[in-house]
Amino acid sequence: MCLAAATAGPRAQTADGTAPGVGTISGRVKLTARVRSPLPSNVYPSRTIGKHAAPAIPEIRNVVVYLKDPGFRGALRTTKSELRQEDETFIPHVLAITRGSTVEFPNGDPFFHNVFSLSSTATFNLGRYPRGETRGQRFNKPGLVKVFCDIHSHMSASILVLDHPYFAIPATDGAFELPNIPAGRYTLVGWHERVGERTLSVRVDAGQVSTVNLTVPVEDQP
Amino acid sequence: MSGGRRPPRLLVKTLAVTFATVAVLLIGVFVLVTASVRDQVRQSVSTNLEAGQRVFAAIEARRQRELGEQVAALAESPRLKAAVDTYAAESGANADPAVREQWLTTIARQLEEVAARIDSDAIVLTDVRHRTLASAGRLASLWPRDREVVIAGAEGDRVDGVARVDGTVFRIVSVPFDLDGVRIGALYLATALDRRYADDLAALAGAQTAIVSDGQVVTSTLSPESARAFESALAAAPAGGPAAGIITLDDESHAFRRLVNVNKATFYALTSIDSSSRAATRTAIQRLSLIAGGATLLALAASFWLARMITEPIGQLSTSLKRMAASRDAANLPAPSGSSLEIDELTDTFNALITSVTAAEDQTQGAYTGAIRALAMALDARDPYTAGHSERVSVLSVAIGRSLRLRDEEIEVIRLGALLHDIGKIGVPDAVLLKPTALTPAEFDIIKQHPGAGARILQSVPFLAPHIPIVELHHERPDGRGYPHGLRGDEIPIAAHIVHVADAYDAMTTARAYRSARHPTAALQELWHFAGTAFHAEAVGALATVLPGVISDTGEVVLEHMHA
Repeated sequence: MCLAAATAGPRAQTADGTAPGVGTISGRVKLTARVRSPLPSNVYPSRTIGKHAAPAIPEIRNVVVYLKDPGFRGALRTTKSELRQEDETFIPHVLAITRGSTVEFPNGDPFFHNVFSLSSTATFNLGRYPRGETRGQRFNKPGLVKVFCDIHSHMSASILVLDHPYFAIPATDGAFELPNIPAGRYTLVGWHERVGERTLSVRVDAGQVSTVNLTVPVEDQP
Repeated sequence: MSGGRRPPRLLVKTLAVTFATVAVLLIGVFVLVTASVRDQVRQSVSTNLEAGQRVFAAIEARRQRELGEQVAALAESPRLKAAVDTYAAESGANADPAVREQWLTTIARQLEEVAARIDSDAIVLTDVRHRTLASAGRLASLWPRDREVVIAGAEGDRVDGVARVDGTVFRIVSVPFDLDGVRIGALYLATALDRRYADDLAALAGAQTAIVSDGQVVTSTLSPESARAFESALAAAPAGGPAAGIITLDDESHAFRRLVNVNKATFYALTSIDSSSRAATRTAIQRLSLIAGGATLLALAASFWLARMITEPIGQLSTSLKRMAASRDAANLPAPSGSSLEIDELTDTFNALITSVTAAEDQTQGAYTGAIRALAMALDARDPYTAGHSERVSVLSVAIGRSLRLRDEEIEVIRLGALLHDIGKIGVPDAVLLKPTALTPAEFDIIKQHPGAGARILQSVPFLAPHIPIVELHHERPDGRGYPHGLRGDEIPIAAHIVHVADAYDAMTTARAYRSARHPTAALQELWHFAGTAFHAEAVGALATVLPGVISDTGEVVLEHMHA
């Protein structure tokens, strides 16, 4: 599939920067509270040790909107992203990248961190390293990679590796835009790590903007 | 029982009564002590259970909390969390079963590592849908993978309850399994409520324990029968079960108290009042027995002493009365013993009685003696020549008897015997008695009958019996030629010899119709002449010795001595 995309080559672009025969999906993601079956918590209040002050990342920023199997044929532009470790938290919590991209894990905390993953998409362990140091990892397989720190059990992050460029992480107000999509019918996915995929059928017309509203039933936790 | 049975001794009776009283008293005290000990034990057992319950509840809560915290701390394993979270992300509906299996094995390994560091029957890890992902620990096999875990009595997301799995009831303490503030599963710490748990609980509570869930005794340190009895007793009680009370199991009274209530499971502590009170009662009875034994001995000794205080004076009194009755001697009356007023009064009364009886007897004897003396004097008076003869013979005989050192009793017998010696002459006709001339042999035979006649007269008066030998034998001679029996020497009592000598002396020294009175010296010579043959030699000697003291210058016997 990748080879096929490569041979197809990029389509000609119009003067205003938009390729002919492509449209845009624009929309808004809405998080709804979902009824969760009760899960146990400790009856006896535990003595919390060094509760870290987690930077408030809005839950909407943990959603990835993408097209499901769009049949992308073309050169996939790789990027170099950063997943910082600050205040015992991976920032951002969810990262979406194209296949072949590299992610750097700089340590911004005044103590050691570690980065490892058990995911089948990419199993790796970057070892432990101090503040100021960074280590990178290139992701060559599409799929979900769950990242952990084996020093801090509460730290986790998700990296969604996609083999097409049609994805976005919504703005804090939920708005997103997927430009340059060839006209056709697609399945739009709203993904959240605790919900999985929520899909929506969408039609893209050339030169048009298809507007959609996607609902993802995630409890918007503080 | 025969009517003639002898009554028991006072001492025996007193001891028996004392013993019976003490026994009844002790039995009463035993019963009271047993009851009061039982009551006290019941209270103390209840108090102990109550105190134990507070301590236990605190300890148990702390233990469970610490266990939960321990597990929570252990659950903070990045690898376990990573495994669970990655598994959750990758085990979608279309996941490869082989890959899924691999993931679950990874999770199980990680959980084993955690479980190895904690002493627990089972640690169960579930996903967010309460399905078992993995379990570890001694009883892990009871928690198979993919089974839904249902905790009875879970309130909201706080779980501290019980779960029944294949007949085994577990006490469950849950700990959250979060990743970065997001719940990714749950960890349950399951403790089997089995006999081992009940034993631990019993050691902690210091009592028997029973754990009841859904009205059933899940486990207990009681015997199976007792456990069933307890179960049915609780079933009969109002819903929720009583917090405390008294119950009879196996015929033994038990105090029980609810220790803690963990949702559907209730923990009870039980203590047998009976077995606790048995030990306490035994101790109390042992001490009491010691005191009781001492008290009994003391009471018996005291009653023995009291009884002796009564019986001893009575015994003395009766002994002296017996002696007195035998000797007719009122001189030696028993003195009051001073042991008690009543006994002294009894003694005095007896003494007064004996004195008055003795006085009456003396009076009677005196009257008799007086009458007989009067008779003897009257007899003497029949013959003018023999007037005063009997009294003189009496005086002389007494003097001789004294000289021969006879005993006072013998002297008294001689005094009256001599006075009466010729009483038999009452049957001798005046013609013979007063005949101034010599007697014919036939007349002399009549005279010879007077000692026997006198004896017969005296035989009719019992108290004159001692004097009979004197009257009967005062004409016998040492050489056997006397009358009426012709006895010899020692066959004749000394009293009869003495009266014989005195009679002969007085006869010779007083005048008769047919002769004049002889001089005392001549009479003594005559007596000396026949001493050893007709007269008792020592008696004659004694008469010679005493004569100067009893006769006047004119040779007459002084009669004042009669009333000395």
